[in-house]
Amino acid sequence: MFCYQCEQTDRSNADSGCATAKGMCGKDATTSDLQDLLIHGVKGIAQYAKRARALNAPDNAAGEFMLYAMFTTLTNVNFNATRFVTLIQEAAQVRDRVKASYITAALTSGLTPEQLTGPAAWQPAADMDGMLKQAADVGINAGLDQVGADIIGLRSLVLYGLKGVCAYAHHAYVLGGESDTVYAGIEDALDFLSNDPTDAEALLNQSMALGTLNLEVMALLDEANTGTFGAQQPTQVRITPIKGKAILVSGHDLGDLAALLEQTKDTGINIYTHGEMLPAHAYPKLKAYPHLVGNYGGAWQDQQKEFAAFPGAILMTSNCIIEPQAQYRQRIFTAGPVGWPGVRHISDKNFAPLIQAASALPGFKEDVSEKVVTVGFGRDAVLGVADKVIDAVKSGAIKHFFLVGGCDGAAPGRNYYTEFAEQAPQDTVVMTLGCAKYRFNQHDFGDIGGIPRLLDLGQCNDSYSAIKIATALAGAFECGVNELPLSLVVSWFEQKAAAVLLTLLALGIRNIRLGPTLPAFLTPNLVQVLVDKYGLLPITTAQADIEASLTRKAA
Amino acid sequence: MNTHAIELTTRDGEQLRFECATDQNLLEAAADAHIVLPAQCGQGSCGTCYADVTHGDFTLGKHNPAALPVDDEAKGGTLLCCTFPQSDLRISLPFDHDRILIGEIKVRNAEITAVDSVGENTLRLELRLAPDEDDGSVAEFEPGQFMELEVPGQDIKRAYSLANTGNWEGRLEFLIRLQPGGLFSTWLREQAAVGQTLIVHGPKGAFGLHESGLRPRWFVAGGTGLAPMMSMLRRMAEFQEPHPARLYFGANRAEDLFCQTELEALQAELPQLQVIYCVWKPEDNWLGFSGTPVDALAQDLAGAVVLPDIYLCGPPALIDAAEAAARAKGVPDQQVLSERFLPTV
Repeated sequence: MFCYQCEQTDRSNADSGCATAKGMCGKDATTSDLQDLLIHGVKGIAQYAKRARALNAPDNAAGEFMLYAMFTTLTNVNFNATRFVTLIQEAAQVRDRVKASYITAALTSGLTPEQLTGPAAWQPAADMDGMLKQAADVGINAGLDQVGADIIGLRSLVLYGLKGVCAYAHHAYVLGGESDTVYAGIEDALDFLSNDPTDAEALLNQSMALGTLNLEVMALLDEANTGTFGAQQPTQVRITPIKGKAILVSGHDLGDLAALLEQTKDTGINIYTHGEMLPAHAYPKLKAYPHLVGNYGGAWQDQQKEFAAFPGAILMTSNCIIEPQAQYRQRIFTAGPVGWPGVRHISDKNFAPLIQAASALPGFKEDVSEKVVTVGFGRDAVLGVADKVIDAVKSGAIKHFFLVGGCDGAAPGRNYYTEFAEQAPQDTVVMTLGCAKYRFNQHDFGDIGGIPRLLDLGQCNDSYSAIKIATALAGAFECGVNELPLSLVVSWFEQKAAAVLLTLLALGIRNIRLGPTLPAFLTPNLVQVLVDKYGLLPITTAQADIEASLTRKAA
Repeated sequence: MNTHAIELTTRDGEQLRFECATDQNLLEAAADAHIVLPAQCGQGSCGTCYADVTHGDFTLGKHNPAALPVDDEAKGGTLLCCTFPQSDLRISLPFDHDRILIGEIKVRNAEITAVDSVGENTLRLELRLAPDEDDGSVAEFEPGQFMELEVPGQDIKRAYSLANTGNWEGRLEFLIRLQPGGLFSTWLREQAAVGQTLIVHGPKGAFGLHESGLRPRWFVAGGTGLAPMMSMLRRMAEFQEPHPARLYFGANRAEDLFCQTELEALQAELPQLQVIYCVWKPEDNWLGFSGTPVDALAQDLAGAVVLPDIYLCGPPALIDAAEAAARAKGVPDQQVLSERFLPTV
């Protein structure tokens, strides 16, 4: 295996990357190699799908398969080798279907169909051992000796950014949000990669095109979330348990949570959110369920300890699973793209077995004294009080805004984000999103003239809210986003964050502080390009970065 | 007392470390460090705690030679329950990290809900766990694992593989061969009745399904070695796993075979499952395979296009013969997984 897609990738050698029998995330070499081969297969679908779409024969069902397949290859999503063997076979079948409709469309239009090569012409081996041999030629590092680390790094930037785009698009899709232009953009990017591009400029341009595409995807997702569940409202969420039977829901899929809430109505089972599900409490149609009682635990990296201590059943939706421990392996269920060998998977939103497990488990024996956090400052809530915010800035009561957000993780260097948020001066406002918030969301930030100093915008999936807020403020002050008293301090872990970073860069937003370490796939040369061309800043120390942000006149 | 640093590496590459004194066995030292490794008898007679020492010196205490074949011993194989370190050790474990319990083995009460004869000397025992404060009424275990059953107030404790799958009703199902003169067997034959309470320790054990893509899975069972195979196949049915699957189930005589109805029900849920009944000493009217399940395995391996993962459970002679047959046909060692049933009287 060779994989360096996430922040915790092995950096113990000169060449960073996980390349032994098992990655830092727990993914074994077999699964990692099969994921590489699946991506190869998906590129083959896109080669034909793009050409079919150009001839007015789009296949959005193939598009949906591509979203799902790409999503399964993100960090901490699916670790089941068997599932990947099946998906690889399915990829070839989908490709053959799209190929047939492309040929028909071409002939109907009086054109000679193109003879495509590369992934478009690949045939999956009959068994897993054969597939692993095929995977050896299509890994992320393929061609390294010929094209060099910079080009491999740029291809990785495109691929990993694209994985994030696909994950967000899948989140939108499961709530009914689909778009032809999004499928077309994804097909373009995969088709581009299928040619093993070697031109650095073209690769950078493709990265930025993906950033722009991702903005559209995030808008689609925002619309799907708010359209289905209403706009987020500021809401106090209990973070201590109450007595009774319990189910814990983690991951990002609000649709799965909604289905479970409906199926557990009147059962007496309480539903708790975990990790990135916390913002669910802010949506009117979800918080209307009285048995959505609170939030339990912290960010994803603490799940082994927290799940083992949780006295009920657990549902892991969409992503961010790590190896289920023996203590809770029989009572954790996966849904959507998530998978772990030997763990029960629910693919049809029929949560009866999960509910049965929760009924048999003891649940919480006692109430624990109430503690709360406040969530729900999505764009509607913040922009609803825009006048007040603008006045506070004009009067000097608010000197600066920080957006401190993104993914959390176990690395000790992530303390930077805790320190940054807690040390931000009293006349500044800290906006946050993603699970990095768990590092400081129980801290008492106080308020500025009634405006809370900590505004929780939602999941990482809600990055669109942050962009809308920034754009609206820039509009109100008649300046560009870079001229606002606003600094972005981004914590990344996996490929969704890579997609959001590309969006911010594509929007021309400069001086983004990125940490806790820079992606291993960005070579020193590539980092220099991002620093020079896009003003990207590696983090230093919290205190120094706060001071630098506050003394900055304009970017 | 000298202590040595012990480093364990699981099949899936996870590492665990603990200290062990020269007069303490590795299994106990690990448990002292809250690392509960798969084991059963704790006295070198069952072979459940087999592992390979890859680096370092140790002494091996008294053990049953049937539990540690000489070939394995020659290449560093040992039984952790009777291994005493003489230096720091590096040890390779033949199972994944998820089979190691960090904490303590559970001890719970269970009520007998059924005890039925399914063959001349074979019983099907069904228990229901008593709901308790910490575990509710769930029966949590991996297919292939076993429980130790203890008769309260009597010094009788025996390990048996589970035949069902984890569930939320607290059901535990066992297939038990009655050993002539066996303490637990005698108790089962003479005293066991519905409504009585047993103490159950577990789950324990590392035997179980190994994920390896869609490679075919062939299960070879002798007698009540069928129990863990039933559990694994039932899990496959429950998860609708697509792997091609075969079960070779052998007995000395046709009338010693059992659970045919259950296996038919399993085939209805897992249509790709082929069941090959093997009888060593058949009557003239026997229509199934004549010979041991190892004979049937060897015959089918000769024609196999893809070498399967092979799961073995039964008496040591059956396992040794099946392993030899698998090796002869070129099946890699890591594709052969086994659980030895050694009778304890």
